[in-house]
Amino acid sequence: MKSVVTTVIASADAAGRFPSTSDLESVQGSIQRATARLEAAEKLASNLDAVASEAYNACIKKYPYLNNAGEANSTDTFKSKCARDIKHYLRLIQYSLVVGGTGPLDEWGIAGQREVYRALGLPTAPYVEALSFARNRGCAPRDMSAQALTEYNALLDYAINSLS
Amino acid sequence: MLDAFSRAVVSADTSTSTVTDIAALKAFVASGNRRLDAVNAIASNASCMVSDAVAGMICENQGLIQAGGNCYPNRRMAACLRDAEIILRYVTYALLAGDASVLDDRCLNGLKETYAALGVPTTSTVRAVQIMKAQAAAHIQDNPSEAFAGAKLRKMGTIVTEDRCASLVAEASSYFDRVISALS
Repeated sequence: MKSVVTTVIASADAAGRFPSTSDLESVQGSIQRATARLEAAEKLASNLDAVASEAYNACIKKYPYLNNAGEANSTDTFKSKCARDIKHYLRLIQYSLVVGGTGPLDEWGIAGQREVYRALGLPTAPYVEALSFARNRGCAPRDMSAQALTEYNALLDYAINSLS
Repeated sequence: MLDAFSRAVVSADTSTSTVTDIAALKAFVASGNRRLDAVNAIASNASCMVSDAVAGMICENQGLIQAGGNCYPNRRMAACLRDAEIILRYVTYALLAGDASVLDDRCLNGLKETYAALGVPTTSTVRAVQIMKAQAAAHIQDNPSEAFAGAKLRKMGTIVTEDRCASLVAEASSYFDRVISALS
């Protein structure tokens, strides 16, 4: 899993040397930013269900045609799967906050996403709407500190860009 | 390769739940500078540690440098020093990452079989690793023994905390123990 620490170790290993001072400096930089990221991860984890259901409701409100017969949100099974998908993205965002890089989103969310949605005939616009809603819903200092919110929003933007 | 953070993520993903044990990661972050000091203490003393460990191993078993021994002639002694340095390097990486996966995947996987095929005596290797384990503990605590080091005594001069980084010493020792159990 790609993170600052693993990248530093991989390059030191490729050169066959012990971690140098500059390697340790990069790791320290990552550790300094970690406090805000972990705060965002903690807050997101404790409110994941609420954030996911708000985002889901927002996208169905914007695209009500999804409730029509034969569309992606028409039956109870489909509805629960849509809500699960939104929650899935938010969980991967929480992972990325913990790791301090986009590794989990890249490896478990974005790789193959286009192909899967095409094969299943799913529109990506509602996902974008749901994540954009979450993107604009977060508020500092009500939900988390400003720096934590910046980290959280950056990852939501990354996920949105991958879908649009 | 994983670090302490991605290890938490991978284990949370197996149950499709969010990472809940944030407190442990916060502790990792809080003691981050100490960890970097510990890595630096080992990296800065690496060549000294390696040569002392191999020399100590030979002192205890002179047969190694006599004809037919595994550290005779110089070519094989050099290979031995190189291997000790490689092992110490991967232990340092594991200590930096806070996770043993880099040590397991890139160093220990197949090491025992390789040594068996090359006829390297594992008991001697284990002894050298044990010496490096004691040295690493001394350097992380920054209290190398005057009795053993004599004129070669080196201190990092970092700020010594009350518990002398007990958790990091324990963690580093666990990585050395991992090497020892992989070899024996």
